[in-house]
Amino acid sequence: MFLKNRHFSIVTCGLLLAVVAGCSGSDLPDSFKARFVYSDRTEGLMKEAQNGVEDLPGVKELLDERFGDPQHLLAWSQLPVDFGGLSGTVAETPAGDVVKDLKLNLSDSFTLEEGQTAVAQFVTGEAAPAVVIITGWDAEKSEAILASAMETAPAQGDLVVIGAGERLQTGRSLYMQHCSHCHGTSGDGNGPTAEYLYPRPRDYRHGVFKFTSTKPQSKVSRDDLTRVLRNGVAGTYMPSFVPMLNDEQLYDVVEYVRFLSMRGEFERKLAGELSADYSQDAVDARKADGESYKDIVSELKDFLAEDMADSLEFVSDDLATSWTEADTDDALITPNSPRVPDSPESRRLGRELYLSKAINCADCHGVAGNGNGPQTTIYEKNPVTQELYSEPGLHDVWDNLNQPRNLTYGIYRGGRRPIDLYRRIYAGIKGSRMPSFKNLKDDEIWHIVNYVLSIPFEPEPGHAPLPAGDVATASNN
Amino acid sequence: MKKLWALFFFFWPLVALIVCWIAPDRGWWFPSEAKSPLGSRIDDLFYLILVIVTVVFIGTQFALGYVLWKGATKEEGSEAYFSHGSHSLELIWTVVPAFVLVFIALYQMDVWAEFRVKSYYPEETLKDGPMMEVKARQFEWRIRYPEPGKDLQNQPQPGDLYTVNEMHVPTGKPVKFNLRTDDVQHAFFAPQLRVKQDAVAGLIIPVWFMIEEAGDYDLVCAELCGWGHYKMRATIVAEPEEKVAEYIEQLQADQNYDGVAADEDDE
Repeated sequence: MFLKNRHFSIVTCGLLLAVVAGCSGSDLPDSFKARFVYSDRTEGLMKEAQNGVEDLPGVKELLDERFGDPQHLLAWSQLPVDFGGLSGTVAETPAGDVVKDLKLNLSDSFTLEEGQTAVAQFVTGEAAPAVVIITGWDAEKSEAILASAMETAPAQGDLVVIGAGERLQTGRSLYMQHCSHCHGTSGDGNGPTAEYLYPRPRDYRHGVFKFTSTKPQSKVSRDDLTRVLRNGVAGTYMPSFVPMLNDEQLYDVVEYVRFLSMRGEFERKLAGELSADYSQDAVDARKADGESYKDIVSELKDFLAEDMADSLEFVSDDLATSWTEADTDDALITPNSPRVPDSPESRRLGRELYLSKAINCADCHGVAGNGNGPQTTIYEKNPVTQELYSEPGLHDVWDNLNQPRNLTYGIYRGGRRPIDLYRRIYAGIKGSRMPSFKNLKDDEIWHIVNYVLSIPFEPEPGHAPLPAGDVATASNN
Repeated sequence: MKKLWALFFFFWPLVALIVCWIAPDRGWWFPSEAKSPLGSRIDDLFYLILVIVTVVFIGTQFALGYVLWKGATKEEGSEAYFSHGSHSLELIWTVVPAFVLVFIALYQMDVWAEFRVKSYYPEETLKDGPMMEVKARQFEWRIRYPEPGKDLQNQPQPGDLYTVNEMHVPTGKPVKFNLRTDDVQHAFFAPQLRVKQDAVAGLIIPVWFMIEEAGDYDLVCAELCGWGHYKMRATIVAEPEEKVAEYIEQLQADQNYDGVAADEDDE
């Protein structure tokens, strides 16, 4: 919607762009400070894998030095997140020893009101990582007036960022105010009110969101997240945040949610790399097989020293690629042919597909669309622990009971437009047990959409729309 | 010193008089001038009550000041006067306020009836059905319009149009809508219109208002409905009737959007 690419140019230069200064929270006693929690997967690793061996960092440190904590967020330039701020380069190497003003080439127009100041940081060159305060800005000469002279003079072409991380900070503050009591400070869907809600608030840390407009394997796009903030999710506790938040604020919150999702996903994947061999359970099993604890630790040390760098690169590249891809046109699901006009015949064909062996919507959603198909009565195995769940029914990737939608209510969480239902069928609902039906023909999906939209208004449950021959007779009556 | 205290009690009714005198012109009582005709009449009632209580307050305060002044100016050693009640005085201070209260109760009745009693609603709202359904929910307002050309039904209908936190209403004519709640008790409060009506579980409550001037008006929840109560903010957009029709048309196009139509901008 208002995607700004200018900050992504910074990606190439340096790992950590800037340390984003915290809010006044830094004066608080420790017990009052907001902090990110680590996932169960991380906490389930052996202590050395969590905290590191000797001077080699463990998962926790690797995570913290890239993402920081809520008081001191870090802007890791590997992430496709619009952290905010203006980037630019030094236009000419300043003459003289005392550098009190500086000509800059900025990526976008910049204004500084009288009496206001801005924080700028040098990212490359001799002067980096110096932080300077700009007290004035001459737009005509594009010259910044600095509060105090710089110790090391920058050179032409040095990269500088003004107001780095402003968006992320605003997003963080808004998130903490309006979102965190359900979704949790870390985005783990476990805020103080979460346990009273059904369905549970989304846990972002899988990097998976249900209601997207993107292809089955794609992440959620910014537009999708914005749409959820605008419209809320009917049938759940997620309300609309408009007009309380304006467009700019929505954008900032979306960026912060994406940041939290990436943090969670990064942690999950990193811990995943280690959990097969170094989880507490794996270590116990290995010790039972006769390996000594010392050997395991030294093996872990070798892994951290030699293989971790590759793993980190792999994980972060994967994150950057997949989250960037989600915002491209390629990821967006666009039907090739327009909606088949709604008609009794189309609905009938839709119902046939709904009941057909190959598609079998009724297996979960029930013959009459009541969300009570046979699949809701079986006991499933937890794919991780291999144990049966304690309650019957389908489960999603968050281990929550995944109730197939009762289609007779006419409440559509992912949106009620035909395109929303089309995308739901085409891509499935990510993280849930609703699979993708992307191999269906467009017309077939549209028939199902037409049928599903008609279910709430059927004269009786499971009423089969009239076959084509009877339509004429029916309309004559 | 005694006289100073007596003067102190004379001082406050004077302040009250000045404040009450200028309050209506300065709009000290209300967020802004009422933006609906009925709202202005509700304001008039408030000001009437303000006048009555001001008169009573000043009267009683002056009486109090007078008694204090008299006591303060009495000579030292003069005897106190004891009374054992006065039947006629008690009658006066019971009957006079009773008349005032009965007067207020009767005087406000037609405003109340027009605001709350369905058969006194403006004729247009009786003739036409409700324009929309406003459903309060923790923590948002969900709006349902009937398909253009159709009447609103209590049960959702196939062509219904849905929005959230945004009501579009025509200016210059009374607008009636059905107020409901999905969960707990909420209150529909449009401060500039002076409309406040609880949404009660299980009830469908018809509410009406009329806005003369096009613009955006606030809608908030005025019944503490849970931790997210503050989030229940919405906008009432008042605009000329043809603009509303255009809006509804756009809403219908958006809701039927199938991702292919070229003229649509998919958000």
